[in-house]
Amino acid sequence: MVAALALTRTEMAGAHGGRVVALFDPNALIDAIARSGDRDAFAKLFDHFAPRLKGLLLRSGAPPELAEEVAQETMLTVWRKASLFDPAKASAATWIASIARNRRIDIARRDTRLRLSQVYEILDEDEPERPDDLLYGAERDALVRSAVSELSVDQLRVVELAFLQGCSHQEVASRLSIPLGTVKSRLRLAMAHLRGRLEDLR
Amino acid sequence: MSIVHRPSDEALAAFAAGTLDEGLALVVAIHLEIDPVSRQRLRDLEAVQGALLEAAEPAAMSGTFGVLPLASRGIADSGRPAAAPERGLPRVLRPYVIGPWRKIGFRIAMRRVDVPGAEARVFMLRAAPGVSLPHHKHSGLEWTTILSGAFEHDHGRFATGDFDEAGEEHVHTPRVDPVEGCTCISAVTGEVLFQGWLGRILQPLVRL
Repeated sequence: MVAALALTRTEMAGAHGGRVVALFDPNALIDAIARSGDRDAFAKLFDHFAPRLKGLLLRSGAPPELAEEVAQETMLTVWRKASLFDPAKASAATWIASIARNRRIDIARRDTRLRLSQVYEILDEDEPERPDDLLYGAERDALVRSAVSELSVDQLRVVELAFLQGCSHQEVASRLSIPLGTVKSRLRLAMAHLRGRLEDLR
Repeated sequence: MSIVHRPSDEALAAFAAGTLDEGLALVVAIHLEIDPVSRQRLRDLEAVQGALLEAAEPAAMSGTFGVLPLASRGIADSGRPAAAPERGLPRVLRPYVIGPWRKIGFRIAMRRVDVPGAEARVFMLRAAPGVSLPHHKHSGLEWTTILSGAFEHDHGRFATGDFDEAGEEHVHTPRVDPVEGCTCISAVTGEVLFQGWLGRILQPLVRL
């Protein structure tokens, strides 16, 4: 499984211009932070994820200062909560993406005392299922990652708007100036592709 | 418990993205706390978000990270309320202030969940077996998760854990299970227009 993960990452690095990131192992970095507050490990993790977080937020229309702030706060939370990371539940990228979502909610609601992000954290507390299969989260995430990399550009854009930015189907249609039916069919195809992959696992 | 009614893909995606109104999100979260199948759908959506992050085009940060505080070991975020959760309530309600039960009619009681800043109003409703809730229609959304017991309306029977995602077009008269009664939690946007005598009592109380 570890080999498969490494392979996926190398393939993706290859697809993005041939630069192979040698041995970037986020799980080990997070582990080093949790164990000994390893600042070098954090710096590596930061250099990888902070610019991606910022890139994603910019893409979703966030102003640059907000994108920078959410990326910073997300990484700070990663530092503080490193010991809570459980690779059996999710890959590092998925864990960090969900922290980013929660920080973004917090930042949007500074005045209302951060209840909603706690709701997400409480939901995340209980996932004792599948104790027999510790690799499940990482395995699922590797499958999802390769499935996502196989989506067409058109499908990817729709998936991004719907699943990352939470746009309704109608909003996606008007943002991309395409018919509602097209949005629905692209999403349906993308989800079918994803679920097909995941079925192998379940 | 067998859950039949779940949030639509659209509602769940908005929940996963964190863009739902807080009142609506809370009612979805309570369903998710009860239903492992929907929770798995949520985890899948979050995995997609992780994949999109991993594949994202990096944007240069204008600053590097500042001073790092001491790493905390398994310590939860500050700001988490220490208050003990009320027995029998969903855990995701822990951060919220919930009012007392108030009788609002013959064999019906409600308690308000205070969700500051939310567009939707959130309240729990408890009805005795066999009660018909007031006939109503709405101009916004009415999302409900059943906490115990069941009710039934034109779109089916909704029992513990089920999620009722009613939109603008719905006109309904829920009938409460004749044996078990029903306790549910609802988030309502826009206006709800009650009809009949109970509606007239309920209208000002629900502040709609």
